[in-house]
Amino acid sequence: MFWYITEYFRGSDGIFYIAIAIASQLQANINPFNKEICETRTRKMSEIKALEHATLKVPYEILNKRFRSAQKIIDREVDQVMNVSRQVDKALDADPPVLADVTKLMGNVAQKLQVLKRKAEESINDELSVTQICKRKLEHLKGIMPPNTGTGELWQGSVDQWKRIRLDRLVIEHLLRMGYYETAEELAARSDVRHLTNLDIFQNSREVEDDLANHSTTKCVLWCIDNKSKLRKINSTIDFSLRVQEFIELVRHNQRFEAVKHSRRYFPAYEKTQLNEICHVMSLLAYPADTEMEHYKKYMDPQRWQKLVLDFRHENYRLFQLSSTSVFSAAVQAGLSALKTPHCYTQTCRNLNCPVCQDDLNRIALKLPYSHCVQSRLICRVTGLPLNEHNQPMMLPNGQIFGQMALTDITKDDGTVTCPVTNTKFSNPKIEKVFVM
Amino acid sequence: MEESWACASVEKDLDRVVTKLEQLRDNASADVGDIAILMSDLVNALGNAEQMVTTLNSSTQVNANAPSVDDPMGDGVSMQVETEPTAPQRPTDRHMEVIRGAILKCNERVQKLSTEHRDLHGSISKIGKAIDRNFSADFTSTMRVDVLQDEDNLMLLNKAIAKHYCRQGMDTVARTLIKECKMTEDQAQDVFDSEREFADIYSIWMKIQKRELTEALKWTKRYSPQLMERQSLIEFRLHRMRFMQLVSYGVESQHEAVVYARTNFKKFALRYEHEIANLMASFIYLPAGLENSPYKHFLGQEMWTELSFIFLKDACQLLGISKNSALSVVVNAGCTALPALLNIKQVMQSRQVLGMWNGCDELPIEIDLQPEFRFHSIFACPILRQQTSEDNPPKKLTCGHVISNDALTKLSNGHILKCPYCPVEQNAEEAVRIYF
Repeated sequence: MFWYITEYFRGSDGIFYIAIAIASQLQANINPFNKEICETRTRKMSEIKALEHATLKVPYEILNKRFRSAQKIIDREVDQVMNVSRQVDKALDADPPVLADVTKLMGNVAQKLQVLKRKAEESINDELSVTQICKRKLEHLKGIMPPNTGTGELWQGSVDQWKRIRLDRLVIEHLLRMGYYETAEELAARSDVRHLTNLDIFQNSREVEDDLANHSTTKCVLWCIDNKSKLRKINSTIDFSLRVQEFIELVRHNQRFEAVKHSRRYFPAYEKTQLNEICHVMSLLAYPADTEMEHYKKYMDPQRWQKLVLDFRHENYRLFQLSSTSVFSAAVQAGLSALKTPHCYTQTCRNLNCPVCQDDLNRIALKLPYSHCVQSRLICRVTGLPLNEHNQPMMLPNGQIFGQMALTDITKDDGTVTCPVTNTKFSNPKIEKVFVM
Repeated sequence: MEESWACASVEKDLDRVVTKLEQLRDNASADVGDIAILMSDLVNALGNAEQMVTTLNSSTQVNANAPSVDDPMGDGVSMQVETEPTAPQRPTDRHMEVIRGAILKCNERVQKLSTEHRDLHGSISKIGKAIDRNFSADFTSTMRVDVLQDEDNLMLLNKAIAKHYCRQGMDTVARTLIKECKMTEDQAQDVFDSEREFADIYSIWMKIQKRELTEALKWTKRYSPQLMERQSLIEFRLHRMRFMQLVSYGVESQHEAVVYARTNFKKFALRYEHEIANLMASFIYLPAGLENSPYKHFLGQEMWTELSFIFLKDACQLLGISKNSALSVVVNAGCTALPALLNIKQVMQSRQVLGMWNGCDELPIEIDLQPEFRFHSIFACPILRQQTSEDNPPKKLTCGHVISNDALTKLSNGHILKCPYCPVEQNAEEAVRIYF
């Protein structure tokens, strides 16, 4: 910069150029549109960082899982190839080697190689298809950024559109967590956001849940086996709960010997961690299925299935390292708090456009904290416009404050002013200016 | 700024994995495919040799060249076979060598495939780490867990969701939700009684997004005087778009476009004289097609996005309804608030202040919401930097300055109060309670 200035000084009309240079510098810095865009960019970035973990993490976990199963498949097929090739070696080492045998074994090798080739391609393509899902989601997330050119309305429009899609995504995630699968499906279809949600992935969990709701453990057990190592890593006890439930069902149907067999087969694996529970459960054998004893009655309660459904859902979320609450509910809470003011809970100051003033949301927000505010921000209750130097706050004799611009609306031709809040009438009142710092 | 962006860093790692996977797939199919072909060629050659011997029953030389020329084993598969019809046939030493070589190569290649795939693990877990590093996973500390676990509150939330979709005309979604969450009759009725006006506007908006203008034009025609009065751009913009649409159909619809311009542009002649002239000039480019003319941006996706946005904004303003539903206002406000709350959480944790929500009846920080999200006046006392409340109401001093009641008591000396903002001395009891 300094160099520029000295350079310009050498020129005949240097000072003129300096003035231009500085002016254009200033203009670039304070151009309000640029500044606004910069601020929004930063804000949007932090929104994405704060809210979109699950959007990317779920497909990543799927990718990781596909990778592991691909590795397993490849290793298995490689082993197969190696096995037959070892047999070829053996056949060659045999004394005397037999051409027909060798040929046959070589044929096997060729066949196994073909299988390996096919399966490797298939599994790697599987992995690639998940990366595509990730990619699509990333592309969508990047769409929140305002374009570098274009009018304010254009980018307002596209951001609005983006936010609408985000709301649909968040709602779908919430619906899935609540178990409202049908609604989630329908919404995804209607608003065409399926590829941006985790719906496909949770299709499987829906099947497991339905199965559990029908008092069957089959699918959930399969799910446990499928995710065995991960479940162990997160210290899940869901597999144990399933085995207990199976035991309980056997007792309920009075197949007590079967129950004993079942317990011998499955319970020893958990004796280190669940011994206490095992003892309790085993004592069910000693009581009738309709026992009235509080302690055992709870096991026999069919409601326990419902609890299993919830447990499963919870474990499934843990498996994908998702937070125990949905982004949607966090956003609803934070949003309600950010909007909540003491006014929302008074009879007189409610604003119909304010979400927290509406009955349902008002009740949800009851226990939430109010918004925090260190700088006054005043809005005229008649016009909805902000009160500032262009719309000075004015006080009626009853202490109610309205904007200057609203005064014509509430003053009649004969000079009577009606306070819109209290309905009191004043004829030619003294209306005072108020100064708010 | 762009480099530090979370998405970019995840994308970088992801792209790396994609390239590696694609490479591996292509290499694997080439490598394993090659060796498989080699094997079957060998098998064929050996089979031929065997057959020759059994049929000819004599000492023969069979030349079985593998078809692929670049195949290193191909030329080696020629064999001399000793015949002894009763005893099983033996492979020659040359055979054995070739076969051993092939098997060795096969083992090498398949093992290489397995190792190379395993080596991808590092790159893949890098994606996961990038996600964890750049995105926050946990919100529990920013919310009161009990609020949205309460059955009643959850039902109220379902109702708000149903209302939101009902408002957009997606009644079926709302109905399915009502059925699935077992909402009571009364509450469901309430959902459908909520504002329906917006649904019409929304459906027209959807049509504009799908590039159909008939409904929108009909609507603006009905409200034309009001729109004119408000200086709204929308009517002219819609006609302009329709006109350009007609022009873009090419020379055949030229006549139609001229008629359209004549009937519809007349009333805008004063306000948009220049622009209309501009539009009419587009006929010059018609034979060559609009795509290659200065007019092509008139039909770009951006124009449609802008148009639909202006329509939604102006129509809602005209009807006096909010263009956003309560739910979307809340969620979007929440999405603005959450990053700030997560930030403050880190600060609070590092200073070991526990519980952002417990025992506080206010958020720990001010959330900077857009002006359209502000619905109520809030007066914060400029002296004590506190919001006023029923117990500590705002008071207007005789000089017109406003401070909170607490500040007033603290500043006054007996009855005498000196205004902190101006030199006026006054009686503290003359301050009046005011209401915003």
